[in-house]
Amino acid sequence: MTKPAGTVAAVVFFLATLGLAQAPSEKQSYVIMAPVGNVQLRAGASTSVEMDFRIGSEFHINSHHPKADYLIPTVLKLNAPEQLTVADLKYPEGEEMAFAFAPNDKLSVYSGDFSINAVLKAPAKAAAGSYPVKGELRFQACDHSACYPPRSIPVQFQVTVVKK
Amino acid sequence: MKRNALVFVVLVGAIIGMLAAGKYLDRTRKHGPLKMVGNVKGVQAPDFDLPTLDGRRVKLSDFRGKAVLLNFWATWCSPCQIEMPWFVELQKQYGKDGLVVLGVAMDDSEPSKIAEFAHEMGVNYPVLLGTDQVSDDFGDVQFLPTTFYIDRDGVIVDKAAGLFSRGEIENNIKKILASSRNSGAPQTSRASVGNTLAPPPKDAP
Repeated sequence: MTKPAGTVAAVVFFLATLGLAQAPSEKQSYVIMAPVGNVQLRAGASTSVEMDFRIGSEFHINSHHPKADYLIPTVLKLNAPEQLTVADLKYPEGEEMAFAFAPNDKLSVYSGDFSINAVLKAPAKAAAGSYPVKGELRFQACDHSACYPPRSIPVQFQVTVVKK
Repeated sequence: MKRNALVFVVLVGAIIGMLAAGKYLDRTRKHGPLKMVGNVKGVQAPDFDLPTLDGRRVKLSDFRGKAVLLNFWATWCSPCQIEMPWFVELQKQYGKDGLVVLGVAMDDSEPSKIAEFAHEMGVNYPVLLGTDQVSDDFGDVQFLPTTFYIDRDGVIVDKAAGLFSRGEIENNIKKILASSRNSGAPQTSRASVGNTLAPPPKDAP
């Protein structure tokens, strides 16, 4: 990522987090995603892409492996174009936390910042070019006394495939 | 250089202003005896016709003359699970006085899964399958649990968004049980119920 683009991305993420610091409106999203810089990938190789998310203060979301079947896990779905494949997704471990509404029960949650890593592969025959990877992050948020319906936010970044 | 400094100062000022406004709004959201979302206190509760988990259909108006605790919940809502055993106990305790607890499940899950969950929680009151329409009718229920306390005349006496203590729930139940049965009263008199609860009439059930 070039320096100006990185600065702009950082400013955008910072300003977006200010929205999370505000009193949440009933329709707002409780999670935002930081911009991902342009990813470069050689044909025939693989690379890891880190996607950074920030959860609004006072909120938490279930981890990818919540402790009960009835809880809704955080799930990232990525749709790669034909020239790419999503080989793996690595979620962080959830943090075991107890909340005022159930002080004796620990839940596996994400709060604050968390990252998900995607391993992308480009076949050797992949044509050089820039390809969008799109998807969505589905999560279900709660605060200290209430829970909010499941939501999804869009996830998108650009991958540039270069020939060997 | 001076221009950059000015931009920096303006940016910092704007950020501080936004954070201060957010903090103020957040305080107003968190405090207060009950979170009132929308002006529903004293309003006639909208009627609905919803299916139950066992295939019956239930209208809110079926319970006119009863005090109704209408609880919106979902299986994925951990705070909701804290209240449910209280509702079970309170239904047992105050059912003879005219309390009816109704759960409205806002899940997208299969009814069988909701039924299984309710069974595990020992729920002894009807669970209805909620719809977006009912949520909208009740002022767009955005977070769970949300509970409406509806008096014997079908008027919303209070609305609690989020988890509250058993004591607060019981106090609200006592309020709606104390309301007189006055079906057919004009809307204007019903609208005052939220602020001036009438003592229970001698012949109240």
